[in-house]
Amino acid sequence: MKTSKCGLSIVFVIALVAVILALPGMLPGQTAAAKSSGGDGTSAMRWSVQVDQVDPGNLDLASSFQIAIYENLVEELKKTNQFQQVFRDGDLKAGEAPNLLVLKTTVEKYTPGSETRRAVTTVSGATKLTVRSQLLTREGNVVFEHTVNGDVRFFGSNLRATHNLAHNIAKTIKQSSWSGSGQPTAILTGQL
Amino acid sequence: MDRFVVSRGHSEGYHPERRHALWLSTVLICCSLTASAQKITQGGDTSAPFSTRATHLLGFANAKNNSTGTLSVQDDWLQFQQNGKPGTQVKIGSVRDVFLGGESKQVGGLPMTLGKAAAPFGGGRAVSLFAHKKYDTLTLEYVDADEGIHGAIFQLTKGQGELVKNELIAQGVTINSRKDQSTKESATEAKHENK
Repeated sequence: MKTSKCGLSIVFVIALVAVILALPGMLPGQTAAAKSSGGDGTSAMRWSVQVDQVDPGNLDLASSFQIAIYENLVEELKKTNQFQQVFRDGDLKAGEAPNLLVLKTTVEKYTPGSETRRAVTTVSGATKLTVRSQLLTREGNVVFEHTVNGDVRFFGSNLRATHNLAHNIAKTIKQSSWSGSGQPTAILTGQL
Repeated sequence: MDRFVVSRGHSEGYHPERRHALWLSTVLICCSLTASAQKITQGGDTSAPFSTRATHLLGFANAKNNSTGTLSVQDDWLQFQQNGKPGTQVKIGSVRDVFLGGESKQVGGLPMTLGKAAAPFGGGRAVSLFAHKKYDTLTLEYVDADEGIHGAIFQLTKGQGELVKNELIAQGVTINSRKDQSTKESATEAKHENK
């Protein structure tokens, strides 16, 4: 009985050692597999984006604001490194890009402010912008949709609201769980 | 005695017309000095390049944002040159649209803002009430070699925006899509400031 107990413990120890020895070999293998599949996935899903000019909608938005939003969006999207290439509206090279998304920005709400009022009162005179941002595939499927705000409340000129807005749009796109699959079912909507 | 006085006056060469001419030339010199101080070059002379002081807010070629320099129109090129740095330029033929706007801004920049914030008893707010200036904003829309659309915004002294715009129109730029918003923006801003 004593011998059988001893034999059992030996078998158990051998099994344990075998498992410990086998595990480090298995884990790197798993990681490598995961890495390779993840790497393939991201490289395959590396999209480019074309930034369309801002649509003022029915609002009376100054041309300088529209241009400033557009230019700031191009800059901020480049900074995120989320996209392989960032194209401008009308860029002929965009037609050759294999995976292309189009970013459409429509202004929904605009509250003109005043730098002097902000400086004098602090609490009033804020310039506020609310836009609807959409990422569409070439086929017109919406893969990302968000309502984003941008404003300037204390210091800075009125045009600073456009910079803050573009920064928020780029941040929302970066932080969103958009998979990049380009499927219309993966529509992400929300508000920032 | 009378003869002496008359002869003395004649001998000193008293000529009223000469004095008038002197006054007129002095006034003309003063006027020309004032004009040159206001602007570097007038656009009236077609052979001379047009140039004016401007602040580049964003978007123009490789120019640094919020930099001050000289905006000039010369030989089919629109050029912005920062003080003491090589200029960046865009072909006037690639400019698709020009918009003129207006904005009221606080003067003095960051040092003034900090000073106002540090002033006791809300003195900074009172200063802010008067420390603002109206500017023209000139917005350009142009295309690059790949037909990609770019936008650039310049801030100019009030009244200069119209001159640059006229110069660009004279060089063949067409204003086609949206109308100017200088009066509209100014009116909106004035309304908000009067509230």
